[in-house]
Amino acid sequence: MKKKVLSVLLVAAMAMSMLTGCGSKPAGNDAQSVASSEASKETEAAAETPASAEDETLTVWCWDPNFNVYAMKQAEKAYQVDHPNFKLDIQEKVYSDIETALITAAEAGDYSTLPDIFLMQDYSFHKNATNYPGIFTALDDCGIDFSQFSMGKLADSTVDGTHYGIPFDNGATIMAIRSDMVEAAGLKVEDFKDTTWSEFMELSKKVMAANDVPMLTCSGGSEIVIEMLQSAGASPMVDGEVTLVDNAALKKAIETYKQLIDEGIMADYTDWDQYIASMNKGTAAGVIQGCWIMSSIQAAEDQAGKWAIVNMPKLDDVEGATNYANCGGASWAVSSNCKNTDLAFDFLNATFGADVDLYDDLLVNAGAIASYLPAAQSETYNEGNEFYGGQAVYKDIVEFAGRVPGIDYGAYYSDIRSALTDAITNVVQKNADIDTEIKNAQDTVEFNIAE
Amino acid sequence: MEKKKAKLSLEKKHNLTGWAFLLPASILIFVFCFYPMSQAILLSFRKTGGAFNGAANYARIFKDKTFQQCLFNTFFYFVIQVPIMLVLALMLAQLLNNPKIKGKGIFRTLIFLPCATSLVSYSMIFKSLFAPDGVVNRVLMAIGLSSVDWFQSTWPARWVIVIALIWRWTGYNMVFYLAGLQNIDYSVYEASYIDGATPFQQFMKITIPLLKPTILMTAIMSTSGTLQLFDESMNLTAGGPGKSTMTLAHYIYNISFVETPKFNYAAALSVCILVMVAVLSAIQMKVGDKRD
Repeated sequence: MKKKVLSVLLVAAMAMSMLTGCGSKPAGNDAQSVASSEASKETEAAAETPASAEDETLTVWCWDPNFNVYAMKQAEKAYQVDHPNFKLDIQEKVYSDIETALITAAEAGDYSTLPDIFLMQDYSFHKNATNYPGIFTALDDCGIDFSQFSMGKLADSTVDGTHYGIPFDNGATIMAIRSDMVEAAGLKVEDFKDTTWSEFMELSKKVMAANDVPMLTCSGGSEIVIEMLQSAGASPMVDGEVTLVDNAALKKAIETYKQLIDEGIMADYTDWDQYIASMNKGTAAGVIQGCWIMSSIQAAEDQAGKWAIVNMPKLDDVEGATNYANCGGASWAVSSNCKNTDLAFDFLNATFGADVDLYDDLLVNAGAIASYLPAAQSETYNEGNEFYGGQAVYKDIVEFAGRVPGIDYGAYYSDIRSALTDAITNVVQKNADIDTEIKNAQDTVEFNIAE
Repeated sequence: MEKKKAKLSLEKKHNLTGWAFLLPASILIFVFCFYPMSQAILLSFRKTGGAFNGAANYARIFKDKTFQQCLFNTFFYFVIQVPIMLVLALMLAQLLNNPKIKGKGIFRTLIFLPCATSLVSYSMIFKSLFAPDGVVNRVLMAIGLSSVDWFQSTWPARWVIVIALIWRWTGYNMVFYLAGLQNIDYSVYEASYIDGATPFQQFMKITIPLLKPTILMTAIMSTSGTLQLFDESMNLTAGGPGKSTMTLAHYIYNISFVETPKFNYAAALSVCILVMVAVLSAIQMKVGDKRD
């Protein structure tokens, strides 16, 4: 009998070690399982605390400690003034992990792993809301006045007339340039405002000759082409059809990009850290990027007063071309797993949907430029910024944001971006024919989105 | 009850104990490996939404240009990297098996260490080594060569992946060879030495044939590992420039989680990789194992 007990115990011990073995093995394999195992920990934690009336804790997923995590912490503080029991459990997760966790939950049909609130990149909002509406709670009746947000930005999180997200940060494209380098070339910052790409390239050559650095730095070149495309409002999707071929703006954008690289005006860094370093070390005279890049630029305190913000150049000879585009930005969403939606709605409404003081704080301390329109009328936005030589940069950026042409990717931003990246790489690296490459990209996208 | 118990013979009892020990592991393997695999195969025959789709997902594979590109990349890694790595591992094992060499333990540890590092952190390190102003380019310039844009151009980027793979997995395979070498009786070498065999002849005529089962095993493991390669493509080059370094597994990940999700098609591609690994391993076993 004793032996039997012993053997049962042994088997149990083996089973336990097998279980833990199984648990740890896939965790090393990919980010997805890490995310899902973390997610399951959260549900365990959530299960321990029963959702009673006094429980006013909401779980939040977002990714940047200096930016959106900070924003949520400040929002928590602001909301706690009137709701002392309120608490946020903010979990910092890389965005690709958030998306993987959401998709995994949706495919499995088990939403219990999701947090109450999560932040979603605008570029993948349509894709996820179209394919997996089940992860979201519709926000139409949550009490937020959506008319107070900038329209272009709101469109990213609205699918078929239903609001799934509350716009957070603005991603208006800016061109940040080193005013000291520009002046060293005998030019003025003013010269770089409202330029076309050909004018810009002429000016750049002077700056490059005087300072011996490339005019622009970039990371993963296709992004700038995407921004050029948007600046001309040339949608890659029109009425559900892919329109890359015969898209004059696209062709011009790729040609312009090729010229920028070929003539050494723009340096391309694959690695993000080196890209940031190229600004902070002064090995580039400028950068074109979403305005969120400012917090990275400002990290180099020794360069204070040496930067200025202007709008990006516009495409030559393209109908509808402007000097304005958008790059990045994200929106808050409430998950379908949120048990206490009243609390979540009230929290979001009272903070990101109404609190101008909160937005002022975020602007100054996190560089987050609001898409909540009343916030942009606040005094803080009109103040000069010493880092940019006293320029009222936020006011300018809000103005840029208001002029960005609309662009439609349908739910296929990632597919189109990926195909365009291939085309651009082939054109720049292998001198491939632009028309052929655009045709290939069109075929690839059509193939990918076909059922 | 007593009667029933008496019916079990001693042999049956032993068998039952054996099964009882096997059961927990078997159930877990079945639930966490075979059940998902069968579900994935079923998934590959369906459309988004669950309707039966026949072999349409498989037919789609033949029209998919991105798949062809990724297949080419994966086979490039396979054809170039696996032989280099295995030959290197064999040479290192042979060197470190020499009883006269000093500090064997340290060398063995050092060579094995890469495969104990995290996939992501070693990718980050390779990224900085091959950066435009990284160590590799500085060395190239110092010896009078021009620097290379490793991650910006197709072939250099592919070679970075091959070099990274060799760095990481050579030590791992070397350990298998070392174990195999230790099992070869030293008297065989002594006998051949007395018969006048040169070291090279010893290596070709004794070491290689006696190591054959180990070589076969490492070849099959490397084949399966290379065809499922994901981390290097994802972390080191992000598949770029364009898709010129993207592996099949990375493409499957993109189909599922980055682009418009097509899990059914991704499942079909996974099954396709499974078949390729099976076929390649079968060929290797046929060629490598002459015992039958």
